[in-house]
Formats: sequence, C-alpha cells, structure tokens
Amino acid sequence: MALVKTIGIRKDYRLGKAIVHALRGVNMQIDPGEFVAVWGPSGSGKTTLLNLIGAIDEPTEGEVFLNGRKLNALSDNERTEVRNRSIGFIFQNFNLIPVLSALENVMVPLQISGESYSRAKKTAGSRLEEVGLSRFIHHRPDKLSGGQSQRVAIARALIGTPLLVIADEPTANLDSETSEKIITLMREINQKGKTTFIFSTHDRRLLKHCNRLIEISDGRISEKGQS
Amino acid sequence: MTILAISIGFAAISLFRGYMDYTYWGLRQSAIRGEGLAHLTIFKKGWREKGNINPDKYMFSEEEIRICMEVLNSNRHVLLSTPQLDISGIVTNGRISTIFIAQGVIPEDVKVIEGSWRAFRPIKGNRLDKKRLSGVEMAKGLAKILDMEPGDYSVIMSPTLQGHMNALDIEVAGLYDTGTEATNDKYMRIPLTIARSLYDTGKADRIVVLLDDCEKTDTLKKIIQKKLYEAGLATEIRSWDELSNFYSEVKELFDLIFLFLFIIVLTIVIMSVVNTMGMAVIERTREIGTLRALGMKRKAVGNLFAIEGGLIGLFGCVFGIALNLLVWIVIRYIQPTYVPPGNSSPVPLMVNLVPQAMGIYAFVLIMLSLFAAVFPARRAAGQNVVNALGHV
Repeated sequence: MALVKTIGIRKDYRLGKAIVHALRGVNMQIDPGEFVAVWGPSGSGKTTLLNLIGAIDEPTEGEVFLNGRKLNALSDNERTEVRNRSIGFIFQNFNLIPVLSALENVMVPLQISGESYSRAKKTAGSRLEEVGLSRFIHHRPDKLSGGQSQRVAIARALIGTPLLVIADEPTANLDSETSEKIITLMREINQKGKTTFIFSTHDRRLLKHCNRLIEISDGRISEKGQS
Repeated sequence: MTILAISIGFAAISLFRGYMDYTYWGLRQSAIRGEGLAHLTIFKKGWREKGNINPDKYMFSEEEIRICMEVLNSNRHVLLSTPQLDISGIVTNGRISTIFIAQGVIPEDVKVIEGSWRAFRPIKGNRLDKKRLSGVEMAKGLAKILDMEPGDYSVIMSPTLQGHMNALDIEVAGLYDTGTEATNDKYMRIPLTIARSLYDTGKADRIVVLLDDCEKTDTLKKIIQKKLYEAGLATEIRSWDELSNFYSEVKELFDLIFLFLFIIVLTIVIMSVVNTMGMAVIERTREIGTLRALGMKRKAVGNLFAIEGGLIGLFGCVFGIALNLLVWIVIRYIQPTYVPPGNSSPVPLMVNLVPQAMGIYAFVLIMLSLFAAVFPARRAAGQNVVNALGHV
C-alpha cells in the first residue's frame, strides 16, 4: 500500500481579486521507505504540495491519503494529531524555538504528544547524538550554525519515529558543502531506519541522492523519474 | 515592563490598604479610647430624639442605673460599665465668658477606658482625680480664651434640670488637646459629681460599656439590649462607630479612594497584559505555526498564551510583594509624621502589613492577567498554519 497518495488535488489561493492556481490536479503516490525529491522552479507548487501531504493545509479539490487515511476528511484536531504522531517536518528556516536549547527543541513533539519529561529528554538526547550534536545539546539556536540548526531540526523531525518526514527546501539557507552534508545525513537516516523522506528543492545538485524525483512545474507534475 | 507595571500597581494598592488599615485602627482606638466612647453607649429609648426637649424624662434615674449596671456586670465580656452625663453652659474667669461642653465622667473609670491610649492624650498639669473634687480637665483652646493655666479657678454656670440657674467653682487641674480645632475651644472633662451638682440631679444620660473584644461589639449590642428590655428598661444602644462621625466619614472617604485606585490599577493591568500578549502573538507567529505543524492543537496554543499571561501576573505580584515589604520596612525605619486636616498635632504615618488582603489582590491580579491574555491567546490559536509558517 502506498504511504502517500494524492488523487486529483487542486489548490487555489485568492490574492486580492485574482485567483492563483497553485496545484492543478496532481496525482501521485509515494511508497514506504522512499527518498523522494520534489523538484521545480520557484512558484511551481512544491511547498503547496508538501503542505497538503503534511496535513498542514487542505486541498480545494481532490483527496490526500496518508497510510490509507483520507486527510481532508479529518477534523482540525485529528489532522493535528496525525502531524504529531506520523509526520516529521524540516523547514527551510529551521523554525527552532529561540528560547529553548537544542535538546528542548527536539523534545517538543514528544511533549506535545504527552510523553513524560524524562523519557522525552532521553530520546531527544539519543536523536541529537545520531545527528552528531551531542556536544551542543544545551546550546540555544542563536549559538548554532546553519548546518547545526538544521541537524537539530532533523533530530526533532525524527523524534517521534514518524512514518514520513517532509522537508521543505531544507538546504535553501545553507552553503553548498553544508547542503550536501544535510542531504547525505537525511539519506543515511532513510536507508538505516527506512523512514520515508520527501523533500523539495530547486537545487539540481542534490537530486543525485534521491531514488525518485517528482518534477513539478506550474502546479502540475510534468514527469516522474528516478535519478 | 508589564511585570513592573503589575508590581508597582500591586504594591500601590497593598500599601494604601495597609495605610488604611493602620488609620482605621488608629481612628478606632481614638474613638473607643481617646474620645472615651468605649464600645457601646446605652441611652434611654427616645433620648436622642427628645432628650434635648425634656432631658429629665429621658435620663436614667439612680435606680435605673443600678439595674443597668447589674445586667451589664453579669456579662463576662463586659470589662467596665460607667454612667456619664454630658452638660453644657457658660464658663467664665470673671472677665471673659464663653460656652463650654463637658463630659461628666467617673475619673477612675475613664482611666480604664483610656488604657494605654492615655499616652496619646498628654496633659499639662494633672488629670481628673477622685481626690480632687472640683478639678477639671480643660481643652487648650478654651483655656487660651479664658487665659487659664493649671491651678487657676473658674466658674461654670447652667440652668438645672428643673430650670433654676446654678453656678459652681471649678479648678483647672490640667490642660489637654482635643485633637480637632472645632472642639478645642469648647470642651472640658469634669467629674460626674460636678456635672450632677450643676444640673442638680443624680441622673445620668448614658451608660458607657467597655468590652473585652471589639469584634464582639455588634453581637453583644443585641444581647445587652435584649437583657435590659427583659429587666424592664427600654433602651437604644449605639456602638462606637455609630457615634463617631469622624470615623465613619473618614472610612467612607478612604474606601472610595481605595476603590478608585483599585479600578485604575486593574485597568492598567488588563491593558498591559493585553498589549504585551498581543505583541507576543504577532512576534511569535512563526513559532505558533511551527508548534501547530509539530502537532500542538489550537486549544493548547491558546492555553499556552493564557498561562503566559497568568505567569506575568504571578511574577508581577511576587515582585509587588517584595516592593511592598521594602517600602514597609523603610517607613517603619524612618517613622514619618504628618498633620491630618482638622488636626492640631502630627500623627505617625504608618502602614500595616495585611497578608489576607495582599493574598486577595494577588489572586485577583493573576486571574485578571490570565483572562486578559485570553483574547490574544485565541487569536494565536486561530491562526492559519500555512500563513503563520510563512510569516516574516
């Protein structure tokens, strides 16, 4: 069974009096364990597609399924729970909470789910060790480099052992060397833990890491291929 | 800044409350002990309405005084009961005459009523003494009019209860300050025997009762009235706060000022918290989006900000308590004084610590801060996740 499935999804936004068609009938499928890149120029609909798969947004038309469950049929609270338990997010701007340390940032999803402080702390410590940041657990985000911050974000995304990790332009704010390292790390985690990754990028150089490429342009998937 | 505003507001209302508490205590003691009202004053029923027109009819006879004292002394909460007679007339030094108002009292009983408050009513010369039969205490303002000093002699004149003119020689035993300008040029305190002699009567117009606990005043008032009625005496009893106009008026004024101050502080707290939390929601929009993306529900986001608002109130009150204590300590160390309006001598400016009141104010301010944060909290919770994540 496909982990992610979209059927004819459309997403329209209203910008003043104009309507922007961000997605125009997208059908796609992602299987468990895949490492998928969604590639396309700016404004092609990459982020919109990931938002719909990640249950952050709802389609104007069409259906989105995650592990057989229809996301757009769920209530807001149900979708929120799905995000907490089944999906990990990595953002372009890292989106770490500035007043929390690296360890505390990674603990957040577990604490939201009701995990005890001590268990959340232990699990977060292990995740940070996996991404090579055991020496930086008490550092606040303003004391971390871009690459380190994104590693913290990766650890946070993986803390709850999600079915799917969604990364929206995870390397956009990083230099090429660091970008390479981050994508390599994500790939290693994917191969080791069989965690499904779907990430968006407009950087062709990173595509060599993925085992599947979804090319999107002007709200439509123009070709699917394997790199 | 919001925490500071709450701290200062909390300290302001707590300090003012402490000042009011001390002032009320002082006024209470002044009324009960200083003015000699004690806790209860028993009049014959009808005295206050018709006593002026027909005083003889509405005074307690000697037999009625005896019955009254018997009933009162049988109550274990009554420390002292004593008859008094208020008189008025003309006082003269032979050259100058002026009006006087005098309280006819039993000197030893007045000593008990005044208690340690006597120290706040210093006397130049001597106090009333049962051995000095014609010795009186004269207010300083009256003594000044008559050019009198302790040891001087004077004459008081008044019609008796039967309407005959009467005069008596008095000796100025001591001079005292009544504490208010309005009474300092008229008042005297004289032995009950002199008052009765001048009015040519053995009666008393009131019986003053000192209790062992001020808090029991209202309860005992009802019990004593009932007991006196059962003993055949129709009476009207007034408590000290009913008789002390000054206390009632000052209390009413201070209560109003406090209410005004409290409303201002509450308004400042609400506006500060709403503003601070509103700004926090705007500044943390992306953070809110992240939390929502990570799986925090709308209600939890709302609760988060509401609790933050409550914590602002909590910390504000904690610092406010510390500030209150600091100012309290400073005041106790400096011991400032001031002359209140209408007073002729300075009084200490003191502030009490009232923990129960501080607890209530803290609770109210914390709850208010929490509720004030609800509106911004709901705005935070209602934000669209996509828009929040993209917020710059």
